[in-house]
Amino acid sequence: MKRTLWPGVVVLALTVAACGSATRPASTPTGSAAAAAPASKLVVWDWKSGEPYAKTYIEKAKADFAKKHPNVTVEFVPQPFEQYYTLLGAAMQTKTGPDVMLFNGGGQIRDRSDSLLPLDEYVAEDKSRLAGWEAFAKDGKTYGAPVTLQGHPIYYNKALYEKAGITAPATTWDEFLANCDKLKKATGAACFALGNKEGIGPQFWLSGMGSGVLTPAEYDGWIAGKRDWKSPNVKKIFEMFKETGDKKLNNEGANSTAMFTDIFSVFNTGKAAHIIGLMSDIGHWKDFGEFIGPDKVGIMLAPVVTDGATPSLPYDGGIGYAVAKWTKDPKAAADLVRSLTTTDALSSFSAEAGAIASDTTISAPQDAPVVGEIVAQLKAGKPALHVAMDSKTIDLMGRLSQKLLSGSATVDEAVEELAASDQEN
Amino acid sequence: MPTRNTSPAVRPGHLGRTVEGGKKERARHGAARRRGRSERLAPYVLIAPAVLIIVALRLYPLALGVNFSFTGDGEANGTAVGFANYLELLDDPLFQTALANVGLLVLLLPVAVAIPGLLATFIYLKVPGHRFFRSVYFFPAVLSPVIVGAIFNLMLAFDGPLNELLGTIGLGPVDWLGDPGVAKFAVVGVQIWATFGMALVVFLAGFATLDASLLDAARVDGASLRQSIWHVIIPSLSQTIQFVFVTTMIGMLTSMFGLLYVMTSGGPEGSTYLPEYYIWIQQGQMNRPALASAASTVLFLIMLVVGLLQISVLRRAGRED
Repeated sequence: MKRTLWPGVVVLALTVAACGSATRPASTPTGSAAAAAPASKLVVWDWKSGEPYAKTYIEKAKADFAKKHPNVTVEFVPQPFEQYYTLLGAAMQTKTGPDVMLFNGGGQIRDRSDSLLPLDEYVAEDKSRLAGWEAFAKDGKTYGAPVTLQGHPIYYNKALYEKAGITAPATTWDEFLANCDKLKKATGAACFALGNKEGIGPQFWLSGMGSGVLTPAEYDGWIAGKRDWKSPNVKKIFEMFKETGDKKLNNEGANSTAMFTDIFSVFNTGKAAHIIGLMSDIGHWKDFGEFIGPDKVGIMLAPVVTDGATPSLPYDGGIGYAVAKWTKDPKAAADLVRSLTTTDALSSFSAEAGAIASDTTISAPQDAPVVGEIVAQLKAGKPALHVAMDSKTIDLMGRLSQKLLSGSATVDEAVEELAASDQEN
Repeated sequence: MPTRNTSPAVRPGHLGRTVEGGKKERARHGAARRRGRSERLAPYVLIAPAVLIIVALRLYPLALGVNFSFTGDGEANGTAVGFANYLELLDDPLFQTALANVGLLVLLLPVAVAIPGLLATFIYLKVPGHRFFRSVYFFPAVLSPVIVGAIFNLMLAFDGPLNELLGTIGLGPVDWLGDPGVAKFAVVGVQIWATFGMALVVFLAGFATLDASLLDAARVDGASLRQSIWHVIIPSLSQTIQFVFVTTMIGMLTSMFGLLYVMTSGGPEGSTYLPEYYIWIQQGQMNRPALASAASTVLFLIMLVVGLLQISVLRRAGRED
């Protein structure tokens, strides 16, 4: 009996033990650290801390936090960005995610705000020093503190402008179209570099061009959530997008060219005269300057289409840190977020990563004249239109924009579908 | 898979039982009877680990996932919503496209099987350079889908080499990955290119069992190449063909995510969505895990049907043996 049963019992016991240990770590990532009280541990997820350019930034933030909470250890866990929201979503679903986490401003953080801690009482002191809070707020509550600003300036290639004999960028849409003709004839360059493979093109278009089309009241209403899809001006933005396709103003194959990052090389090699780009991280002044020369990169405001529209630079908080609702020590977690947004830490990040930092008290890197132009526009700037929309409608807009370019949907159909999706959410 | 696993497991079992029976006849005292009982229990104890692992790590999560698909997302998180997620799926044109594309894959399956079959036939018939072709054809099978996707992204770009080549012979550029009518065939074409090497090897293994005298006899009787293929090779290889059909089908339904992710991101216009890509988008990008669970359940049911068909096909093939 002993001989036959014992091995089975041992195997059974091992299996039960294995099952137990297989399920345990998932449930208590912070609990194991809490056992070693009084010292506790905060886990931070992001996609930046592993990059060489973020090293000094993270070190400064950690040093600042260690002064306030010497007993709390901080662990940064960099995740691959492509998988970031998938991993984070799965972790949050089981309420076992990190204590502090990096978010893109806009839809991503708003969609998950019910799992996040409102930070208003902790970050009150930082409110006036940092810009871009709106992208991390929902229903009047702040869920994240901005690290960088992200926006969509319309960049143009000054060298191509000179070749075409254009002295200053256009201020009206008609003038802009005339310039596109001149540029095409003189240089052969397309008017716009548009990469719409992922369907991101219309987001940049909506935000880059919107302030020249919507009236200030419509613009502010859009940001506040009162989006009037029946307005002829809203429709006009999409008509203009379709017009770029119909009039062949874009580079060829826009629907199969990736925004990240194939399209930037189209602009960098002078094959297109304009691109609605970014301010931080990628596809911005620094990237373009390296190819076409820092003094050849210009920015322009949206050309005016509607009387009374006041063009402005569209920008929001780019990335920022948020705190999970279930964190054991909300005060410490919020303090960590504050340490990650000190002037000292942010100035390192801005200089080394090539970003426009959220801190308005630090001077932007001065190696490119266009940076001064961007910073000068910040004060009059407004939140970007597409950031105010939910991710489902954004995704739909991507697909519809591809249809607009290929001609398989009309502007009316597209606006109607977008209105339905926007109002449903 | 299951049939292959069970058949060898059953045979030793039979042997064990006959030996056991013999022993019982010889030994009649109490200790032996106790041993008999414990030996009867032993198989259950021995399979318990496997059963527990399957139940705890496969069936239980599966049940959780199905259960989760009947709950809501966002504010309705955790509350039962009945079939609301499934109704939303049926209404979602994107999910309809994903299912339609599954149908398209099934329709394109004969092509995906015929290509390696035909090429294997030529290699078997020793066309000049067949040794070279045998290794070259297999080469793409060792590349990861991400690398294959990246290669073809460059090849099929609007200003890429393929369109340049078409331009030199006077044909207009084709937006391979930007035209919804073309993109899905482009991706399936690349998937076939990337995976047919494995099917080719299976076909070559099948040819190894082919009775060469049948072909010789056909040749003596004056059969043409087409007649030899149709009347001799295909009937002799019917089991191999069935097997390749089933494995290619499974491969197409479960392993195209990497290619889609790299080559089209589901676009243009959402035309290259497949259920698994849809699940990934809903879960990771749209923050709709419960809806994604419902889509996963639907995909699971599709795969279950395919799997059951696979088992019955393989079982029939085994019986013909």
